[in-house]
Amino acid sequence: MTARPMPPNRVGWGTWLTFIIAALFIASLIAIEFTPARMLQLPAQLARVLGFFYPADMAYGWNMVLPAIVESIQIAWVGTIVAAILSLPLALLGARNLYPRISRIAHLISATARAFPEILLAIYFVPIVGLGPFAGAMAIGISSIGMLTKLGAEVVESIDLGPVEAVQASGGSRLLALRYAVVPQVLPEIVAHWLFRFELNIRASAVLGVVGAGGVGGVLLNTLRYRHFEKAAAVLLLTILIVLIIDMISGEIRRRIIRS
Amino acid sequence: MAEAAVSVRPEKPPRNWWLWGTALAFLVLMTWWSARGIGFSINELVCNIGGGRRLLQESWPPDFSFLPRLFAPFLETVQIAIIGTVVGAILAIPISVLAARNLTLGMFVWFVDRNFMNILRTLPDLFWAMLFATAVGFGPIAGALALTVFTIAVVSKLYSESLEAIDMGLTEAIRAAGGSWWQMVQYGALPQSLSQYVSYVLYGFELNIRASMILGLVGAGGIGMILETQRSNFEYERVTMIILVVLVAVLVIEQVSAVIRRRLT
Amino acid sequence: MNPSAGNSATGIRFRKARVVYPNGTVGMKDLDLEIKPGEFVVIVGSSGAGKSTLLRAINGLNPISDGTIEVGGRSVPQKESAELRRLRARIGMIFQDFRLVKRLTVMSNVLVGRLAHVPGWRAMLNLWPAHDKEIAFRALERVGIADKAWIKAGQLSGGQQQRVGIARALAQEPSIILADEPVASLDPVTSRQVMDDLVRINRELGITTLVNLHFLDLAQEYGQRIVGLRNGELVYDGTPDTVTEADFQRIYGRAVTEDDLKLSGESHG
Repeated sequence: MTARPMPPNRVGWGTWLTFIIAALFIASLIAIEFTPARMLQLPAQLARVLGFFYPADMAYGWNMVLPAIVESIQIAWVGTIVAAILSLPLALLGARNLYPRISRIAHLISATARAFPEILLAIYFVPIVGLGPFAGAMAIGISSIGMLTKLGAEVVESIDLGPVEAVQASGGSRLLALRYAVVPQVLPEIVAHWLFRFELNIRASAVLGVVGAGGVGGVLLNTLRYRHFEKAAAVLLLTILIVLIIDMISGEIRRRIIRS
Repeated sequence: MAEAAVSVRPEKPPRNWWLWGTALAFLVLMTWWSARGIGFSINELVCNIGGGRRLLQESWPPDFSFLPRLFAPFLETVQIAIIGTVVGAILAIPISVLAARNLTLGMFVWFVDRNFMNILRTLPDLFWAMLFATAVGFGPIAGALALTVFTIAVVSKLYSESLEAIDMGLTEAIRAAGGSWWQMVQYGALPQSLSQYVSYVLYGFELNIRASMILGLVGAGGIGMILETQRSNFEYERVTMIILVVLVAVLVIEQVSAVIRRRLT
Repeated sequence: MNPSAGNSATGIRFRKARVVYPNGTVGMKDLDLEIKPGEFVVIVGSSGAGKSTLLRAINGLNPISDGTIEVGGRSVPQKESAELRRLRARIGMIFQDFRLVKRLTVMSNVLVGRLAHVPGWRAMLNLWPAHDKEIAFRALERVGIADKAWIKAGQLSGGQQQRVGIARALAQEPSIILADEPVASLDPVTSRQVMDDLVRINRELGITTLVNLHFLDLAQEYGQRIVGLRNGELVYDGTPDTVTEADFQRIYGRAVTEDDLKLSGESHG
């Protein structure tokens, strides 16, 4: 008789992990008192509130919401421009293949900037420059520097260093080597990252109104607080529509830039 | 050999001035218009640096005596993130499968699911939090629901792309052996992309931890609710303390998650 | 020699030059070598023999640890400095892997050779004087690819890209050209064309030219003078027709094989 091997022991780390996650999940449900009874109520409750959102008050939408969305876009744009300008030199300095020593400092700045959610930065900027969109743009700008520096440095680290040496061999300075051998190789990808960050920043700037830093978030907060659901519906509809359109345009431009 | 003397110098091809001009004009006008619109002024920034320094002095040192009172809300924040991640990650599976062109059930389902996914993605996390806080009342349940939706949006987008890149040989073999559509997905498609899925869920968890810290600003539970009260009272030493806790938590979770993700791939 | 080129060809002198790399490897052992103005010298040796080290020491890309190298009677500065950049501006370099920015046009790549000759701000802003554009065009004409001036470098074939590399070096109006394995990544026919270009430029403009070659047959065909290196030491220095089997043995440490010939199969001689 052939010896049939036993199936291998299935209680591996995957099983344990699933078990631990399930335990944590249930413990969390209990802790926040999300009981089965509460869960059963939920669909009816959500459906009832959803009903209030119809019909959307589009007159309010065009008059009050649209300007706020425009302000959000402006915040995101200025923030992205500020971050793009500041992050370009940081991205070059942060490339380990060009600046093995200095790059650490650039990475430190980038990591610090990335750790702060925009909204926490806005909390500090509001008292400095006052309530309003300017504070929001500064918060978005500072926090975008982190990601743009990181992604930019990765692009620079992937370049062909040959042309850099060719520029130096022909008597060009280090600055000219950056200008003629590094920047032309990396600029399309870096610009594409700027556009991508702009898409993210529109979402980020939309919520900044919550702490008084301008944009459409404040409008949504107020309409919901006073239970003007038809007006809130207009906020949501217009936000979804405009963000979708901007995503589409920006995504198409990004694809073209990369292809060229 | 080609003789150098006779050679035609081509004209420099004209730049696409229309394209470049439009792009440049758009860039400049958009920036100018936006900067004006939001009242951007370097002047104001410089003038207010004094106020900024005063603020920083008020915010430092952080109020460590406040730390013990942060423990419970911090725990609640983590609980919200766990619930949101687990439920969202499970719900993201069918949504991703139906949004993958190679696995979906017909063009109509694909179209609806894909657009549903895109619409979820357009709204920022705090919008969901505001909506759920209004619908089910202030507190952690609203936060958990908001993060569920947010997780679905993040994970399904990434995962549906991974599913489209799987090797279809195995799935077709299951179909050929008489397997149902669901068996094909369960035994053919999902196991192939398991490690990507886990990695996306971990990424979602990182984002959720970050997001859960600020959900409280709109009343959706967690440490952010305390942040909102202290901020309104201008207790900036406490605000700094809370933000420090948040930063440490975010950095720790990111490191742990990065280690796990590296092991997976 | 062609006086219209305006180059005064420059000689090079190595005196007990020694290169030790940071990891302790000796790249060049007390080399004594003199190259006269306008000479066309081919340097041969197996890989790792120190051919690249020798060329790159001349324009200071590899600093020497001991001894001196003089270019046109002046010793090569060993630190990054304005003086070193001025020296490099007069020395054109051609690389095995071309080292072009593929996304830029051929013209932009050739203008890199003019960087050290125009004011820094003009170079930064990409505002090239007509005079420099003219030089770049003439350099392209000399290697016969002026018609490709506005095409992106990445779209050219390997042989064409190497000609852009040569044009870039020529645009410097150099008095020395260093070619580091210029044909190693090209097929035999293209290799021959590129070598022909280099010889012609040397003859017409009188530019002192040093070419590293791995292949013996190319070296014998094109070199006016052959310098053999092995383990960073000079083991042969003479004309191509006096090279003997024993010399090859000394340069390569073994007999010549098919692998050392690039043009095998082609009729020449």
